[in-house]
Amino acid sequence: MTSIVFENRNVTLKENESVLDGLLRAGHDIPNGCRAGVCQSCIMRSDSTEEITHAQVGLTEAQKTLKHFLSCQCHPKSPISVQSTSLSSQQTEGVVIEKTLLSSSITRLRLTADIDYRPGQYLTLWKDKNLARCYSLASHPKKQNYLELHIKHLTDGAFSSWVKSGLNIGDKIKIQGPLGKCFYTADKAQPLLLAAIGTGLAPILGILQDALEKGHHGAIHLILGASSPDNFYLVDELKKLAAQNRQISLTFVYQNISAQNNPTPESDFSFAVQKDIYQHCKETYPDMKGYRVFLCGAESFTTKMRKQCFLAGAGMGDISADAFIPFHTSTLPPSP
Amino acid sequence: MSLYEKLGGDAAINAAVDIFYRKVLTDDRISEFFESTDMEAQHAKQKAFMTMAFGGPNSYTGKDMREAHKHMNLNDEHFNAVAEDLVATLNELGVAQELIDEVVTIVSGAKDDVLNK
Repeated sequence: MTSIVFENRNVTLKENESVLDGLLRAGHDIPNGCRAGVCQSCIMRSDSTEEITHAQVGLTEAQKTLKHFLSCQCHPKSPISVQSTSLSSQQTEGVVIEKTLLSSSITRLRLTADIDYRPGQYLTLWKDKNLARCYSLASHPKKQNYLELHIKHLTDGAFSSWVKSGLNIGDKIKIQGPLGKCFYTADKAQPLLLAAIGTGLAPILGILQDALEKGHHGAIHLILGASSPDNFYLVDELKKLAAQNRQISLTFVYQNISAQNNPTPESDFSFAVQKDIYQHCKETYPDMKGYRVFLCGAESFTTKMRKQCFLAGAGMGDISADAFIPFHTSTLPPSP
Repeated sequence: MSLYEKLGGDAAINAAVDIFYRKVLTDDRISEFFESTDMEAQHAKQKAFMTMAFGGPNSYTGKDMREAHKHMNLNDEHFNAVAEDLVATLNELGVAQELIDEVVTIVSGAKDDVLNK
């Protein structure tokens, strides 16, 4: 018989009782479904790795790294402290140290803050109690001593407009996180497909840096999509990175040259190809068996691409996605 | 030895579920029921289904099966399509015919609940 600590309260477990059943009996509201270790709706996290290993069957490497476990399958032998995964993130304060316009609509924000993260995870930034947005991390904790986020300015966007004109270097900003499980876990020899549209490039950059840092030696296929070629950003930096690492193949794919942006005659878009990104991937990668896939950007893109890669042979467990979901008030995480 | 153990347990299901899910997603008779924005959740459901079909540990009851399928207007053709895709998956993996027969028996036992008869 042992006990667990959850939300500062102690719950004594009965003989053979799982962590989930103990918490439910004590009146805690814990999401759960099959109670057989299959549906994964009762996932929690704990730092007591020895006590949760037996309850991690079927979880992804990313989930194990985050110390997640299935509470319905967990029967600890010693007292452990457990947290719900949605609230397990840290809350802290960051300071803006750089704000740079990377293209006509994208701002690179660099912050210093004491946050332990995996590149590719995301943070929630708070303007005030009622306005928050999530942004993915492009930086790498071992390579850069700042957090880097790419913020797309939307004309009627409350948060991005504030970042563009109201937020200044030296300002403090509330940060919650990190969250998300789209980060580098792979066999180092596995071919990687990293595909992003828009500011999906931010988490992809984080994942790419981490793959290189960890000595990934399989081929890395980096595909970036945009509606119009003038929307690509960090083009020269990416070309340089690809030139320095021969295993990287870099492709820019765009839909149309937008008429409203009036490209000047000297605009050179020869670095990119005009093609449908789904068609491009279908033709270039007809057989994706054995690939490790990372997809970042708008949810419509990650959903469609996930299905395409899966049907082309990539294992479901080998496909990770960071889907950007439009923010509504109802989806706002609890205020720090 | 239980059927679940004979088939290879959790490891066998992990090997089979991707193949099975690809089949139902590309089966025009039933693919609409499996289209979902959350493919990972849908994949987990297929795994739960296969665990049941393999006679493995799960807590699905006839009532759960009824509840989950009741608004889907399913008919015999839909049910048979899923069963066929499952059998094709097992054949592809080289599972012995007598074990496949046992799986079919388990799945057939859930038919009335799934079709809400």
